Amino acid sequence: MTLDLARVVTSISEMVATVSPEHDRHRFDALRHLWETLDSNDVNDRLDQASTSFLLARQPANYRSRFPLPTVPESYAVVATDGSMILPDRHSPARFYLTNIGKVYLRYGADPFADLSADPDMRFGEDDLWINGDSRRVPVNEVILGLRRATAELLAAVELLEGEPLPSVALVDGTLILWSLVSLDPAITDSILPDFLAALRIFKQRRQPVAGYISAPNAADLMNTLRVAICDYPQRTGRVDCNDCWRRTMTEGHTPFCDILPGVPDRYLLTDIANLCPGERSQVFDSDSSILNRYGADLRICFFYVNTGREIARLEIPRWVANDAELLDRVHSIAWDQSQLGRGYPVALQEAHEQAVLSLADRRLVEETVERQLASQGIVFTRTGKDGSKRGRFV
Amino acid sequence: MAVSSSAISSPRLGEVIETSTTGFLAESDQLHRLPELGALVCVGGLDDSRAYYGVVSHGATGGLDTSRKAVRRGGDHLSDAAIYDRHPELELVLRTVFNVAVIGYRDGPRFRHALPALPVPLHYSVHGCDRATIASFSASPRYLASLLSFHGEIMPEQLVAAHLRWVDNQLDDHHTWLTDATRRLARLMKRDYDRLATILESIAPD
Repeated sequence: MTLDLARVVTSISEMVATVSPEHDRHRFDALRHLWETLDSNDVNDRLDQASTSFLLARQPANYRSRFPLPTVPESYAVVATDGSMILPDRHSPARFYLTNIGKVYLRYGADPFADLSADPDMRFGEDDLWINGDSRRVPVNEVILGLRRATAELLAAVELLEGEPLPSVALVDGTLILWSLVSLDPAITDSILPDFLAALRIFKQRRQPVAGYISAPNAADLMNTLRVAICDYPQRTGRVDCNDCWRRTMTEGHTPFCDILPGVPDRYLLTDIANLCPGERSQVFDSDSSILNRYGADLRICFFYVNTGREIARLEIPRWVANDAELLDRVHSIAWDQSQLGRGYPVALQEAHEQAVLSLADRRLVEETVERQLASQGIVFTRTGKDGSKRGRFV
Repeated sequence: MAVSSSAISSPRLGEVIETSTTGFLAESDQLHRLPELGALVCVGGLDDSRAYYGVVSHGATGGLDTSRKAVRRGGDHLSDAAIYDRHPELELVLRTVFNVAVIGYRDGPRFRHALPALPVPLHYSVHGCDRATIASFSASPRYLASLLSFHGEIMPEQLVAAHLRWVDNQLDDHHTWLTDATRRLARLMKRDYDRLATILESIAPD
């Protein structure tokens, strides 16, 4: 049945009213005032002592610094990878998954060149579909396969830049912080992280910067740091303590002082409050995601924001890139250039996505090939009742 | 199944990607490079004695994936050929295609100006024709009648005019063939003076 929109329209109007800036004018004024009077030293003192429950952005110098666009290199190479998957189908007796990694190499300057390709990889072994945990076997699921895909994308980027003589950058779609590992069985982390970090290390050995690119990110690390900055606990008890504050909201009806700030992501702060201009980047901030403790000091991921003209993008880079001024400028300028060429999003990542994407027709083709080959082995498989009812809808 | 080198010696222009009795669609090997409108082209047959001939009736360049539309890439500071340097991926995501109306075939040593029994084979190479082949094929231009009843992307008068100009150019024989061809055309079109005039005006303003 199609959606009865008339019954949803009123709720949409109500929701949109809450999003309107006029609704929370005083909160945005508080944010602006805080940002403009921010004392970076005080912020860092508070962060050192704070006990918080959310992800924070940290950095040792001035939180509010903005950096202009460096000169884009005349000649450079950029590679980008993106992946797409066919997940194991619960309704089919054939258990497998398929990853398709789109690979793009683009070269600019005196000798322009492009290479676009895709590598499909199908896995069906016991070791591929199950992970041996400490006390049990864990079946791979969408989260685990997503992490494997991220590793495959990174390894493909490593391969693309092998022997590259020009200044180069590897762009990966999405985060380099495998935060979803935090809540998973340690055996899963052990099966994923080493390969991922090994790939990151190769880039470091070659001195080729790798960066994760996130378009219009919903991250609020910097906003969370501002909550620490505005907190009233230091005046009363000496340090920011979210646990105690939370306890008091539950028992005493206390309102956290940081509620005065609007619940907006960092990108809003950067465009509307911090006035990050097109081409400019923010400071580079350290992330304090706990999974990064497993990365090693030089591979720890930090991030900065860039105004691409069209939107704010979040670039995530390993610490060793952030510490190298030339490479940091290269990532900044090339991310910008690629976004201009791609009319708002890096062209290399766009083409990597196009190479990776599996259409419905592609998926059906794989399915049909599996079915046909099973049949030739004498295995005729019937789909589950639920699946059959979805495929052959009838009246 | 290789076509003998004596049959087709001209360079390869592209490959057949759609085919039917009346014609085929070919993708050019090189972006923007395709035979001219009205040109005679040739595709080898499944055996050495066969080859198919047709006249180029349309050309186009666009996205390899038809759901991706071309957008403006340039502006004041970047235009024309420089756009391709600045966007090296364009060579790989665009393609040039051309339609060919099939008008005859070679059966052993002889040319037949009729629709072949079978369509041109899919994925076979499209070649240009050398001067000798053009001269032989067009020696008795009866096939002009079939071009006049062409149904496709352009008006048949435009196709005939383009072909006449092209052959005249290739033969470079002081318009001897062209004069004979237009005389035949006039006989064919004596009840259709307006269409004939359209063709004649496009061929030779002088």
